[in-house]
Amino acid sequence: MRVGPLALTAPAAVGLLLFFVAPLVAFGVYSFLTGGLYEVEAPLTLENYKEVAETDSNRTLARNSLVVGLLAATFSVLIALPMAYWLRYSAGRWRGLVLFLIVASFLASYLVRIYAWRSMLGRNGAINRGLESLGLIDEPLDFLLYNRFAVTVALVHIFLPYVVLVLYAGLAPLQPSYLETAQDLGAGRLQRWRRVVLPLVAAPAVSAFLFVFVLSAADYVTPQLLGGTSGVMLGVQIQVAFIGTGDFAYGAALAFAMLAGFLVCYALIALGLRLTKLDRVRFVS
Amino acid sequence: MAVGWDRWLLEYNTRRTFLRRAGFTTLAVGAGPTLLAACGDDDDDGGGGGTTAAEGPAKAPSASGRVDFLSWEGYDIPDPLKPWKTENGVKVKATYIGNHDEIQTKLKAGGAGAGYDIITYYQGYKPLYQELDILEPLDEQKLPNLKNLFPYFASKEGNFWIDPDGTRTGVPWTWGSIGITIDTRRVKSMPTSWHDLLEPEFKGRVAIPDDPVGAFSLAAHIQGSDPSMTTKDDGEKVFDFLSQVAAQSTGVSPSFGDATTKMTAGDADICYQGWAAMNEFAAAEGVNSFETEVPKEGSFSFCDAYALPAGADNVDTALAWMNESMDPTVNAEAAVVLVGGVTVADAVKELPKNIASLYAYEDLDALLERSPFYNNPPIESDEFVTFEEVQKRWQEIKAEAGS
Repeated sequence: MRVGPLALTAPAAVGLLLFFVAPLVAFGVYSFLTGGLYEVEAPLTLENYKEVAETDSNRTLARNSLVVGLLAATFSVLIALPMAYWLRYSAGRWRGLVLFLIVASFLASYLVRIYAWRSMLGRNGAINRGLESLGLIDEPLDFLLYNRFAVTVALVHIFLPYVVLVLYAGLAPLQPSYLETAQDLGAGRLQRWRRVVLPLVAAPAVSAFLFVFVLSAADYVTPQLLGGTSGVMLGVQIQVAFIGTGDFAYGAALAFAMLAGFLVCYALIALGLRLTKLDRVRFVS
Repeated sequence: MAVGWDRWLLEYNTRRTFLRRAGFTTLAVGAGPTLLAACGDDDDDGGGGGTTAAEGPAKAPSASGRVDFLSWEGYDIPDPLKPWKTENGVKVKATYIGNHDEIQTKLKAGGAGAGYDIITYYQGYKPLYQELDILEPLDEQKLPNLKNLFPYFASKEGNFWIDPDGTRTGVPWTWGSIGITIDTRRVKSMPTSWHDLLEPEFKGRVAIPDDPVGAFSLAAHIQGSDPSMTTKDDGEKVFDFLSQVAAQSTGVSPSFGDATTKMTAGDADICYQGWAAMNEFAAAEGVNSFETEVPKEGSFSFCDAYALPAGADNVDTALAWMNESMDPTVNAEAAVVLVGGVTVADAVKELPKNIASLYAYEDLDALLERSPFYNNPPIESDEFVTFEEVQKRWQEIKAEAGS
């Protein structure tokens, strides 16, 4: 019996409808209702969105989220791209082992990794101790921990394996013969990167960038543990609205405002790809 | 661990009024817990006896089956309750929270009872939980061990556990007081005032747990206000003080455990809203240099009570659990596990020295005079700072501290 595409995708579609679309629609409706104490009620209103826009601290936290999200996504892609390139074209017999180690890193708990960075970056952490023992510093460096830098470092560490795998998969169809052809045609190393590799890897790189950006900007655990006073982000505010003050309507409006921000970022990046015509670059077999 | 336990409101009676009424001011320093307990038995103000002549002697109900528990990890006191559970074949399905507000969120989101049989609430949450219709009345006839409670915890004081009409809604079983916690490896002398935390030497060295209402309650107390009745004008002074404290920190810790870790790692030296239990948490990490004291301005205390959520389906076993928590041995063992205070007078003599010395049981009234139990800020008020305002301003303070 032939199984059609509809039947194959039905379980996932039903799951998404029930557990993603339906709650999203419900929260969308919540955001236009009047917030009570751990409940929402009529009438419909735009007050929640007005409050989101007018609250000064939301702007500060949104800025923090944007900065951390952009930094984490940028550094993740910049570090992952050469790694993925090496894995695809130069790793040789090491490829299997390195890919295994990348996948194995997912087994380490998210929280363990965050606390590991605390023990690395703290006043008595490995970096400060190391620099002191080398005589490079007299006093521990305080700027390593409890700020955006620490949050960014941890998020890059957490998301890097995903990005490497996405980019490695993105490079898989790019046969070495492409690069050899470019070389035969006189392209130097840099030109091969700029005119062959980067255009072909642009789409997966942008996907990976957006993936890290959204998850980093929306994170609320890492900023609490590593962010200090300058690293608090908008996700914490959403958590407080739902759990702390029980104002589901305001929390939903805040979440949808953040979602709108992500969609704007997505649209801008898609527009950038279109203007540079990178969205039309395809592998041909 | 009452990470994030917050605070209180409703029909406010001052601690001083209560003490006068209960005759506690005549108690001499050094009068032991037994004397306090004896006073409690005659307390006509409370509902703690749980026994009336008309109704006959109270008797704990039979316990059996599964109990669905919702509260902090450790508040199900697995080891102290083990003999009772084994004897009665009781199984516990525990759901642990990371923040007190998760209790009402889970109960309200999950409908009546949400499948839970027993919860805890911090005394300041009583008005909110009443507003949300979360708390079921407890049958005192099924809680014979209520007679074991210290008079204060058996009383109607603050209506934290007993409504004005005598309806009991909670069984207080663990408590503690807030203080300044320091790591003596780096802070050589204990500050005598909360305002010392604002000194330049502590810039970037202050740990603060992420407990908005607790932080506000303490700041209000320091500024001479009752957190449940802090006027909007006075509230600005309180928030200003909190902003100054936040500016001294490297960041707000999501829990007391995290604040402790921060201090043991050398990334903070002193804790605003510290807690004697942090000394023990640090000791468990191999650091024995923590000390906690209440400064001259005093602080506030917190008490957690077991309660029955609306819709609970194993009520008798939940009540039997609550009754067992007031057994002196169980109450003392729970205090050891949680590094907390006991609510049962006879439990004091069963405490090891380090736990017994945490709080001055021989002069409990004086201790609670300096560090009272407060209600949370009100849910709605045009005159006083509200619960929601505290939550929102705290987020603003955290955001502004780093900008």
